[in-house]
Amino acid sequence: MSKVKSFFKGIGSWFREFGEAVVKGDAFTRLSLLVMGAQNIRSKQVIRGIIMTVVEIIVILYTVLIGSGFIADLATLGTVERKVEFNMNTMKNEVNDYDHSFQILLFGIISVIILAAFVLFWINNMRNAYQLQKDREAGKHISSFKEDMVSLINEKFYKSLLFIPCAGVIVFTIVPLIVMIAVAFTNYDKTHLPPTQLLSWVGLDNFKNLFSNSISLTFGYTFRKILVWTLVWAFFATFTTYIGGILLSMLINNPKTKVKKLWRTLFIIAIAVPQFVTLLLVRNFFADSGIVNTICSNIGLTGFLRDVGILEAGMNYIPFLTDPVWAKVMIILINIWIGVPYLMLIATGVLMNIPGELTEAARIDGANKFQIFRKITMPYMLAVTGPYLVTQFVANINNFNVIYLLTQDVYTTTDQALANSSGKETDLLVTWLFRLTQEEYNYKMASVIGIMVFVICAIFTLLAFNRVTGNGKEEDFR
Amino acid sequence: MSENNTKTKQTAVSGTPASNATGQITQEQIARIKRMGKIKNAGGFAVRHIVLLFLAVVWLIPIAWLLLTSFSDYPGVNISHFFPEEYSLENYSKLFHPDTVAQFPRWFTNTLIIAIFSCIISSLIVLMTAYATSCMRFKGRKALMNVSVILNLFPGFLSMIAIYFILKTFNLTNSHIGLILVYSGSSALGYLIAKGFFDTVPVALREAAYLEGASEFTVFCKVVMPLSKPIIVYTVIDSFLKPWMDFIFARLILNSGVSKDWTVAIGLYNMLDRTLINKYFAQFCAGGVIVAIPISILFVIMQKFYVEGITGGSVKG
Amino acid sequence: MRKKLLATLLATTMVVGGLTGCGSGSDSGSGSDSTSEAKEKEDVTLTVWGAEEDQEVLSTMIENFKTEYADMANWTIELGAESESKAKDDVLNDVEAAADVYAFADDQLDALVEAGALQEVTLDTDTIIEENGGSDSGSVQAASYDGKLYAYPMTADNGYFMFYNSEYFTEDDVQSLDTMMSVAAEAGKTVAMTLNEGYYLYSFFQGAGLELYKNDDGTNTCTWNATDGTYTGTDVAQAVVDIAKNSGFKSMADAEIVSGIENGEVIAAVSGTWNAETAELAWGDNYAATKLPTFTCAGDQVQMSSFAGYKLIGVNPYSDYAGYAMTLAQYLTNYDNQVLRFQERGLGPSNVEAASSDDVQSNPAIAALAEQAQYATTQRVGDNFWDPSATLGKILANGNKKNQDLQEMLDTAVEGIVAK
Repeated sequence: MSKVKSFFKGIGSWFREFGEAVVKGDAFTRLSLLVMGAQNIRSKQVIRGIIMTVVEIIVILYTVLIGSGFIADLATLGTVERKVEFNMNTMKNEVNDYDHSFQILLFGIISVIILAAFVLFWINNMRNAYQLQKDREAGKHISSFKEDMVSLINEKFYKSLLFIPCAGVIVFTIVPLIVMIAVAFTNYDKTHLPPTQLLSWVGLDNFKNLFSNSISLTFGYTFRKILVWTLVWAFFATFTTYIGGILLSMLINNPKTKVKKLWRTLFIIAIAVPQFVTLLLVRNFFADSGIVNTICSNIGLTGFLRDVGILEAGMNYIPFLTDPVWAKVMIILINIWIGVPYLMLIATGVLMNIPGELTEAARIDGANKFQIFRKITMPYMLAVTGPYLVTQFVANINNFNVIYLLTQDVYTTTDQALANSSGKETDLLVTWLFRLTQEEYNYKMASVIGIMVFVICAIFTLLAFNRVTGNGKEEDFR
Repeated sequence: MSENNTKTKQTAVSGTPASNATGQITQEQIARIKRMGKIKNAGGFAVRHIVLLFLAVVWLIPIAWLLLTSFSDYPGVNISHFFPEEYSLENYSKLFHPDTVAQFPRWFTNTLIIAIFSCIISSLIVLMTAYATSCMRFKGRKALMNVSVILNLFPGFLSMIAIYFILKTFNLTNSHIGLILVYSGSSALGYLIAKGFFDTVPVALREAAYLEGASEFTVFCKVVMPLSKPIIVYTVIDSFLKPWMDFIFARLILNSGVSKDWTVAIGLYNMLDRTLINKYFAQFCAGGVIVAIPISILFVIMQKFYVEGITGGSVKG
Repeated sequence: MRKKLLATLLATTMVVGGLTGCGSGSDSGSGSDSTSEAKEKEDVTLTVWGAEEDQEVLSTMIENFKTEYADMANWTIELGAESESKAKDDVLNDVEAAADVYAFADDQLDALVEAGALQEVTLDTDTIIEENGGSDSGSVQAASYDGKLYAYPMTADNGYFMFYNSEYFTEDDVQSLDTMMSVAAEAGKTVAMTLNEGYYLYSFFQGAGLELYKNDDGTNTCTWNATDGTYTGTDVAQAVVDIAKNSGFKSMADAEIVSGIENGEVIAAVSGTWNAETAELAWGDNYAATKLPTFTCAGDQVQMSSFAGYKLIGVNPYSDYAGYAMTLAQYLTNYDNQVLRFQERGLGPSNVEAASSDDVQSNPAIAALAEQAQYATTQRVGDNFWDPSATLGKILANGNKKNQDLQEMLDTAVEGIVAK
């Protein structure tokens, strides 16, 4: 809570300083309201001042010429539909000056962001200008451009370090995310596909769809069903590979095991083949009329399973990836196959660091191997890899490859309500989202689902992270 | 800086002097226990290795199938025999004599180029971000880290089309530059493991350097980097592998349909298209093997660093 | 205005950055340079998308086109691979970046026209319609939307039919599915068909007179759950369940049919030319093909219907050179090239003259499709059909193991199919 308070306090003082600068600043400080960097030039920070002025001019030019138009159109997302006329003489199409709704959405948002950033920059400029004025009047040393540059590899080095990473994240993550969140409030679907058709705002309608449930509109049902499986999957996928990886690495790293490196290498080979290759391969491996089924029916396993009632009468193959229950179990098993070698590598590193005297003391006290594992190894591992587990859980909620590659074009649902909103029992929220965009062009619902995935992950992370990491006391490790 | 935490930190870094002392005792103890139960252990020894062998076989069966199919002279999916009836090298020779569908050599070069560039860019980005957040203290650092946690919670595919249109306005779709940007653009969000590793680099080392008048830049390059070989290797491998594995973004961005522009992943994925699988499955396997060879070698050689990097880093986020 | 400024700005950025992509000029076609009457040869750059399997024959055609039409423009034509069955997905992802000329299966026509991804055919329209058998012919219908022609018919063989191994079946046997299944069961072999796809399931319901078609607004009309009429929905569903349970029948996906043919398990299949090729190789002289058989529905023998399938070539209205693209599309689908396509790839022509040649007529698959044509309908179905019908098909193909009420099941499926 105190964090929130200090956060608002910070914002408050920030604006107060701005006000103070406007009221108490000298002519040049006030001029900085119009011409950014005026005070800098007055205080002999000429280059810095010029740079700021140039930035200001560029932003204003952009906004006036391009941005303002997009921002204005943002309200309607465009009004002029595309019209084509073929001209026989030129053999070309003549097209009217139409509105590209998605472009408007994208650049409208980008323009708003640029403008907002500029306003912050501008306010900050005032604060700095006033500070500079006070420093100058007090006769303090004012840093030269060269000194500014040098500070960028010294105490301000973080600015140089973080500039490109932040720019990358803003362009390739934040802006696209904001745009797609906005799409959740539009009617972007297969009957409204820009550039030919126009988009419009629909408010919360798409969210209502997700929570309403009628016979023809089964998004609510599908969402609940897929959500449950997503969580079940994330739990099993995380813990099976985790425990499997620890056990395997204990087995390999035990002093009694010979040729450790060879064993480790054998398991690493399994992950060196690109995941999509192995997954597509395994999908054909376990196909209804695939090699495994042929072998199973040759050795009589299929018949045996049928006799004991695990397979229904009349089935002459095992539906590894085509029956909901079999498919879910197989997906988790195949994920163990994929994930355990990674965890084995990690666990190897961590286990090597378990203080030897701990296990030794326990052994002398007469603890057996299982007790040592349960009382010493596991708690140590958990304490050390807790945060990793949490991120892994979130990563598994968003684990696309395993499910998509194993079930796409293979699995057909028998649940008609799911089918009516393009879901499958084996789908995770992300694969459902992906197929909605790629096969149905239902971007509006996909965005809604994306937002829900975020909410779920956020709740989970908030609950788990604070507990596991003990609120990130990173300073204590130094 | 409390004392018990200092201890945790020491044990967290593999191979620090602290654990060697206890290591000696352990060796002695083990030797004693070994002498005591030599007979009993013979059985355990066998069981242990049989279990390992069994597991290794389970793990390698699909890989074996991949290898065998790649040497099969039947081009489709062989569903009746695990071992091919006839062996041949034809699939490999076909891969290197491209037809209109399979342009493997081109795909391989394309992917290699994309992988090298995006690997360099994203490794730099990750290490820079990690250093700034781990070794420096500045206003807004916590806020930045929190934002990165939040951003990581959104499913990445959601923003795919928006990214596509951003690239398109810069005319970067259908170009390898665009793909490199996509792979490395938001790589900063994966800085946590590297940051965790940097956190374990003793602060005293840096302080000594500052006292000698070294700039932050010098400390970054000359003090911290040389100590961070494992995490550099980890980051490099991780980002190098991405273009070999991804087919979603690649397919979206390289959408001209011209197969010589593709990456290995799109090309191989495309071979399993309904209309092609019966002619190309074995070639798909051969392609998979060829891609796996360099990656396996990389992994085996770099194993030690990789393990140290990921454990040093993920020990605490 | 604003768009142009943005384009200029970005162009500058590009030049400054020294980044040269090979992408498409976004919307520069809207320029007002239409007044330039000077008829000097223009530089025309076009991209063509065709199926992976057709790349070789297409590049021959394009080379011929370039020489034949050398007077018209300076051609630069690039050929890309894009499967006809998935063309829509990639075209609609970004129409502006899609090829100028692309091949696709006719079931995608409506969606493509509605998304503004197909240019109305305005050059030589009458000739094209006539060559393909007049405005009532299936191929022209399949290429039309709202009475206007939007694509160039390329092949007329994209539907499904029955092909069989004549070592096991006589010509009489193949008239009825029941006979075929008992013959197969006796021989310990299988008649194969994909039941868990609406595409094939349609043949039973349509055959029994139940309706499914797309409305103008993109939704479907579907009477598969009808309780009146000669045959009710449950009659058909029960018939499909009975077929699925027959030991001489197996519902298989494409890949399984292919491997089944190769290992001898499958001796007859309802499928298209894409799988018939394998059968022709495997069975040699015993390979034969015919129309779909009849099936038993409520005690009667009912002729199976099917979707007639055509492959078309379309022109992208976002092309900077729409007219030139039309010329190329027309060339790629003219008589000579349809014949070439048949000779090189065995694809059945839509062009009437090409289709009536002896060579074409003696091809079993194409003859079978021609025979089936009288029972077939053009594929005009809204997207909501596919998922619910696949699920319905899968339940029926499993022999309705949970014994769900058929009427209820059909009602749910129809709800999904007709949903908005």
